[in-house]
Amino acid sequence: MSDLDDFKATYFDECSELLTELEEQFAAIEGGDRTSDRLNAVFRAIHSIKGGGGAFGFSELVAFAHAYETLLDHVRDGRIELNEPVTALCIRANDIVADFVNAAKSGTSLGAGYGADERHQFDALTSGNAPAANSTADGDDESGPPVDEFDIDFVPVMVNLEAVGPVPPAEETAMDDNFAAAPLVADKAQWEIRFAPHSELYARANDPLLLFRELANLGELTVVARLNEIPPLADFEPFGIYCTWDLTLVSPTATAAQIAEVFEFVEGNCDLSIVPLAPRLAAGRAEPSLADLAAIVTPDAAEAPAETISFADLADAVKKDMPKRAPPAAAPAAPVAKLLKPAEIATDPAPSMAAEEDDRRTGPEDRRGAGVQSIRVDLDKVDRVVNMVGELVITQSMLTQQMDDTLRARYQELVRGLEVLAQTTRGLQDAVMAIRAQPVKSVFSRMPRLVRELAQKTGKKIKLETIGEATEIDKTVIEQLSDPLTHMIRNSADHGIESPEKRKSLGKPEIGTIRLSAEQAGGNILIAVEDDGGGINRERVLEVARNKGIVAVDTTPTDEQIDQLIFAPGFSTAETVSDISGRGVGMDVVLSNIKKIGGSVHVKSRTGQGTRMTLRLPLTLAVLDVMLVKVGGSPYVIPLSSIVETIQCSRADFGRAPSGAKVLRVRGEYVQVVDLATRFQMLSDADLGNRFVVLCEAEGGVKIALIVDDIIGQQQVVIKSLEENFESIDGIAGGTILGDGNVALIVDVQGLKATKLHKNAA
Amino acid sequence: MDSLALKDDYGTGAQVTQNSLQLIAFSIGEQTYGVEITTVREIRAWNGATPLPNTREYVRGVINLRGTIVPIFDLRARFGEGQTSPTKNHVVVVMSVGDKWVGILVDAVSDILTVDRNDIHNVPEGNTMDTELLNGIVTHESRMVGLIDLHAVVSGAKVDG
Repeated sequence: MSDLDDFKATYFDECSELLTELEEQFAAIEGGDRTSDRLNAVFRAIHSIKGGGGAFGFSELVAFAHAYETLLDHVRDGRIELNEPVTALCIRANDIVADFVNAAKSGTSLGAGYGADERHQFDALTSGNAPAANSTADGDDESGPPVDEFDIDFVPVMVNLEAVGPVPPAEETAMDDNFAAAPLVADKAQWEIRFAPHSELYARANDPLLLFRELANLGELTVVARLNEIPPLADFEPFGIYCTWDLTLVSPTATAAQIAEVFEFVEGNCDLSIVPLAPRLAAGRAEPSLADLAAIVTPDAAEAPAETISFADLADAVKKDMPKRAPPAAAPAAPVAKLLKPAEIATDPAPSMAAEEDDRRTGPEDRRGAGVQSIRVDLDKVDRVVNMVGELVITQSMLTQQMDDTLRARYQELVRGLEVLAQTTRGLQDAVMAIRAQPVKSVFSRMPRLVRELAQKTGKKIKLETIGEATEIDKTVIEQLSDPLTHMIRNSADHGIESPEKRKSLGKPEIGTIRLSAEQAGGNILIAVEDDGGGINRERVLEVARNKGIVAVDTTPTDEQIDQLIFAPGFSTAETVSDISGRGVGMDVVLSNIKKIGGSVHVKSRTGQGTRMTLRLPLTLAVLDVMLVKVGGSPYVIPLSSIVETIQCSRADFGRAPSGAKVLRVRGEYVQVVDLATRFQMLSDADLGNRFVVLCEAEGGVKIALIVDDIIGQQQVVIKSLEENFESIDGIAGGTILGDGNVALIVDVQGLKATKLHKNAA
Repeated sequence: MDSLALKDDYGTGAQVTQNSLQLIAFSIGEQTYGVEITTVREIRAWNGATPLPNTREYVRGVINLRGTIVPIFDLRARFGEGQTSPTKNHVVVVMSVGDKWVGILVDAVSDILTVDRNDIHNVPEGNTMDTELLNGIVTHESRMVGLIDLHAVVSGAKVDG
């Protein structure tokens, strides 16, 4: 039972990957890339989903996927043109497949009618465009369980081992003549492919038939199944692998790489050999004489006795061919006139092929080695390593801090050792973070679907552009990104983009654009959602904010401050601005989620031109560079990324704002001052002159001066959550554990600024 | 031999039946309180805590418990009897409340008690602090033991504004 659950979990993992791939492929197809590779990838993905689904009995999923697959098959064959309506249908179908997968995952049912519309369209397309395939396709779709159609010649050949004795010596004598005489007439290149699947291949829901079909696209294909391994029924194991295949591909153009590519997906799950054959054999000789066979067999026997695996088979083949080679074996193969199985095998070890033989031996192995360039590792394991490296970094920085000048002078070796340790630790940390880093694509790729749905729901025309998908961020950050991005895009589509009519009347293109971009800027990742809609309706936002008491009636916030108000806690969805014109849907969620991971949100809006929301995220959640300070005897840390400079209080130029609040003048700018001791209700016994000002920059370039009692130094810390066992505290972004084991609190610069603004405003 | 061993068990081991409850008892001044033993994760000596800003006076701060940050509540202060001036002899009882871990600062841990659920009395009405923070009162060897309602103790710790 637990085994099955494991398989299921793996299946759903794979499904989500495959669905992501589907999105990508169709994004490319929509973009005009109609190459068969794309379509094949789509086909493979859908087939894998269907195959696994069948194994677990998700019949609704399988039925839909099958219908979809039939359509794809027609498209692939060129029977249906992949035009825009078809692409759109496919994209919808992908969404439906995703829904089915999710339903299967949660164990619910979407009902038989789900996706029926699309299925009718599939049927209409497949039956309308392909009268020839009509009956099979229809029959398939309507008559219950899907059955794959065989559309290539498949010729099972029984091999009877007991029936024959050893090769008669008479044949051997003929060998020399025949071998020497064999003309190398180059006509069509021929490949002999031996394919012996392992059980894993089937376990992963691969189907040899599909591989063969794919091969058939490369040229003329003959398939012979080797069934001689099938045991008596009593010994038959249901999951045993008893069937292998010999395939012959006649194609003027196919290369080994192309053929290998067909098997790319099953690499490592089968024994595969791809051998080019002497072209002479392809020259239309349907029935090689037994003499030919023997001729070619024997040199091999002499040359490399028992070394080649194929030799045993070869002998079998020859033996089999001898007694009944005339009608029974050849007759069923009549449509494919070039059933040359025994001969081809025989040619393989021919001396002229020695070089290729070597290639073949090493070839697949190398490819396999090269193919395994990634491994699946449980994220928990990576996390454990990341956490430990984080602790290691901190221990290292603690050790370095312990070194005072006397120690440095005395133990120079130790100092050098510590320096190397510091370097190595940094390198280790970077390497480990790189393991967990993922392109933002994994989140971005979910958004096209969201936009499609939103466009449909709102009746607007929206296109989504994505930039910088390859930007890599820590996986833990990415996980936190999905919800905020969804909210932001929903917001842009709901409230930002205008209706097509309105856009027309404003002289804008009818189709609204939402641009999703990611870029790295120093130690941060910037993710922006930008729309070319109407911008924030500041009057209404202000009106609501005043009604709710977030902003005092007599104050006039700047435009920027108003824009930021949409994130204000309490500025919640329901009672805010009207559904149509206002902004503020779920924005507090965005802010709190982003703040939780140490990021910040900034919004910029231009009336009539659009809104741009930028998320600034840390590259990693694991380690934070901070400045360690003391406030009222307790240690606090301030993220280094937000610090502009530090000034001794005795040298700072303080002034008083008209309201009586303290301000700091620095380089011609007046900056709001927050005394952390007062703000955090701590008793500070330090003299003002001995205290320090830490000038920080909050989001949107707003500066804030924090007064602390003492600056202790810089170090790296691992962020720990306060909420895990307590609750969040205003002005505190979290906690961390210092080298001495004590807890220090992380100052939330953005939060300090924000509360201040609201207090002043109210 | 078997019967002897059995007898020994009877003699020393606390008999835990379905209807009984095991408590860890601790003291604050003269008063004894208890919490169900299954909620207690560990008991450690007081070793200082980092104060948390903008919290009630009974939140003593946070400590590092093997890499996790755990808040410490001063039970004396929670009962409105002023902050404890902790020494090395004071004890932090770490327990789980829901899915969170919290520490409670007490004067000393005294005993493990086994009481019958039927012996738990309701807290007499009158003192809101008691009814709010106690689940019940049980008598053990003529001592009165207040059963702490942990959820109540840790709630409302933040000062708003």
